[in-house]
Amino acid sequence: MTQTLKALGQLALLWAIYLGSTWLVGFLGLPIPGNVVGVVLLFSLLCLGVVKLEYVELAADLLLKHLVFFFVPIAVGLMEWGGVFREYGLTLALAIVLSAVLPLLAVGGLTQLLNARRRA
Amino acid sequence: MSTTLLCIGLTLAAYAGVRALYLRYRHPLLNVVALGAGLVIAALLALHIPYADYVPAQKIMTALLGPATVGLAVPLYRYRSLLLRAAPAILGSVALGAVLAMLSAGGIAKLGGLPQDVVVSILPKGVSIPFAVEIAQIYHGIPALAAAFVVATGTLGSLFGGWLLTLARVRDPMARGLALGTVSHGQGTATALMEGEQQGAMAGLAMILAGICTAGFAPLAVLLLGLG
Repeated sequence: MTQTLKALGQLALLWAIYLGSTWLVGFLGLPIPGNVVGVVLLFSLLCLGVVKLEYVELAADLLLKHLVFFFVPIAVGLMEWGGVFREYGLTLALAIVLSAVLPLLAVGGLTQLLNARRRA
Repeated sequence: MSTTLLCIGLTLAAYAGVRALYLRYRHPLLNVVALGAGLVIAALLALHIPYADYVPAQKIMTALLGPATVGLAVPLYRYRSLLLRAAPAILGSVALGAVLAMLSAGGIAKLGGLPQDVVVSILPKGVSIPFAVEIAQIYHGIPALAAAFVVATGTLGSLFGGWLLTLARVRDPMARGLALGTVSHGQGTATALMEGEQQGAMAGLAMILAGICTAGFAPLAVLLLGLG
């Protein structure tokens, strides 16, 4: 019970940071999404010691454990775009697949190489 | 209202079912996002529920995505010392990946003769939806289509990303996380988190950096691809 209350309190804190960041982005007219500013803000607050890890980690770990859930309803939205994908299917498939594979291998390979060199 | 409840029930059941199967067998094709969404779409079609009726349920279920994303600061903070030590490798790799993603996607779409607004909408497909929509709007693309490309890329990345990295012998957890986060944003990050906490933290970092790099380098991509 106390754990549940604690998690809810922490969730409220995460939500407040998210809402505050979204408001800030709108207020300043920045071309950056609020959630990205929120991550940077919470990270900075943790580094500065204003927010302690114990204030947020219970809720954060729980949400991150199920982060993939949120993308199920979002991916259901793809059913709306069947037409565009049928019309330009092959080109789009090629563009989406190659532009995922190339950077995936480039980032993975380069980081691994640079890390191996740093450790050597 | 009852349709909304039904839609939420369907989605929760699909998520819980596929997740349990994945945790039991750990097979990459038991992908929670792709298979889960596929099951939900199949059920909606079978029950003759149009997508518009699913949207309210979608809004309710994704309400916590914002705070959950903010929570990524927690694993990032836990790995802060590693992050500082490897900063040049991280920044260089992610920036290269973000530019490569834009140029290859836009280049192929343009060569394939797609209309200009579709080409512009595909440029930011590797970043999270709020970023992609913003970038598409700035360069006169179609925000909804940009979001669809983001979801398609994310689903693809979470489906095959880990397998492809293993095939290419990328074993370093940081490298795997960064690659997944750069290429397929939140979905890649969620997939990386299922692999391990370090992979997840790095993917979250890569997602943020890739979003910033993509927004920053978008004018260059638009210029190089002659879309301006």
